[in-house]
Amino acid sequence: MKFKTRKDLAWRRIAGEIFIVDAAGSRMHELNGAAALVWEGLAAGRDEAAVAAALAAEYDITAGAAAADAAVFIEELLAAGLLAKAEK
Amino acid sequence: MAVRPVAAPASLGLAIGGFGLRFKSDSAGIISVLRGRYGRFASRTVRGMKFSVRAASGSESPFKPAVIFKDDRLELRRGDFSAALDLRSGTGELSAAPYEQCLDAFLRSLLSSLLPRAGGFMLHSAGIVKKGKAYLFLGKSGAGKSTLAKLAAGAGLEVISDEINLLRREGGRYRAYGSPFWGEMRCEGRPGNWPLGGIYLLGKAPRNSTAACGGGEALRSLLRCQLNFEKGPDTAGLLLGNAARLLAGARFGRLKFSKSDASFLDLI
Repeated sequence: MKFKTRKDLAWRRIAGEIFIVDAAGSRMHELNGAAALVWEGLAAGRDEAAVAAALAAEYDITAGAAAADAAVFIEELLAAGLLAKAEK
Repeated sequence: MAVRPVAAPASLGLAIGGFGLRFKSDSAGIISVLRGRYGRFASRTVRGMKFSVRAASGSESPFKPAVIFKDDRLELRRGDFSAALDLRSGTGELSAAPYEQCLDAFLRSLLSSLLPRAGGFMLHSAGIVKKGKAYLFLGKSGAGKSTLAKLAAGAGLEVISDEINLLRREGGRYRAYGSPFWGEMRCEGRPGNWPLGGIYLLGKAPRNSTAACGGGEALRSLLRCQLNFEKGPDTAGLLLGNAARLLAGARFGRLKFSKSDASFLDLI
C-alpha cells in the first residue's frame, strides 16, 4: 500500500534526524533511526513493502520483523495525521 | 488670495537589523512616537522599504499578530495595526495606533518575517559582545536571559539585548545586529553589528559549566526560541532550512550558569 505525507508539512533531515514542522498546528515532530528511514521512503512515494524491505536491509532484521515494525509505525503516523492513504 | 501654509509630511528613516525602513506620514504625532521609541536607530541616509503611515485607532485585541506572505506581498495585522508591504517595489502602507506598544508589535512582526528571508533569525535570547564577537544565549521566559545580561553588563561587557536578538547571514557568515527589543533591562539598544562567536542553550545551575550539545537539541532550541508569526508550510520550510545552515555554520554549546557572579564569562 502507498501513502502520502501531508502537503502542508515542512520536513528536513538535520543532524541525522528528521524534523517535521506542522506550522498550522504549531507542533514539531522528530524521527530518528528506523522511523526516519520509513518516513523518507514513504515521502519518496515507495509503498509499505518497499519501505519494510529497506528497513530489513538497513538493520539486518528478518523481513517479517521489518514488515511488522513498519506497519506499527505507519499506523502511528496515520493516527497523528501526518500521513494519509494514497488513493489508487 | 490667501496662501495657507501646508505642513510637510513628517518622515523618519530607521536602520534596524540590516534593513532600511523609511516612514512618512501626514500625522507628525505617530512619527514622533516612532522617533521617541527608535531614535537611536534613526538614519537620515537610509535606503530601503518605504511605508506610508496613517494614525488610526484600535485595541490590542487580537493580541497575537497575524502575518501572511504571498506573491511577494507581506500582510501584517493585529487589533491595533494593519500593514501591507510589496517586497518587489519595497513600498508599503501602515495604519497603526500611535503608541509605542503598537509600533513595537508591528516592527517585531515585520522583522520576524524579513530576517528569515535574509537567511536570518529573530531569537528570544540574551546577546553580549566579548572580544569583538557576539554570543547569543537562547532561552524562553525564566531561562535567565536578563540575569545573565545584567551580570555581563556589570562586568563591563556590551549587551546587545536581554530579550530579542537579530541575526543575519551575510556572505555565508552570521552577524548579530543591535536590537531595540529589550526585556527587564529596558534599554534602547544601539545600532551596530558583530560577527557571531557562538550560540549557547541557556540554563541556571548552582555551578557554572559548558558542554557540547547535539544537533537535534540545538535545532529544537533554535526553533522554539525563534519569533515567527507565519503559519504557512513554505515559511516552516524556510525556517528549517535556515536552521540547518546555522547549525552547520556556527558553534553551539550549552551553558549552565550561577547567578551569583559573572565568572561564567570566563567559560565563553
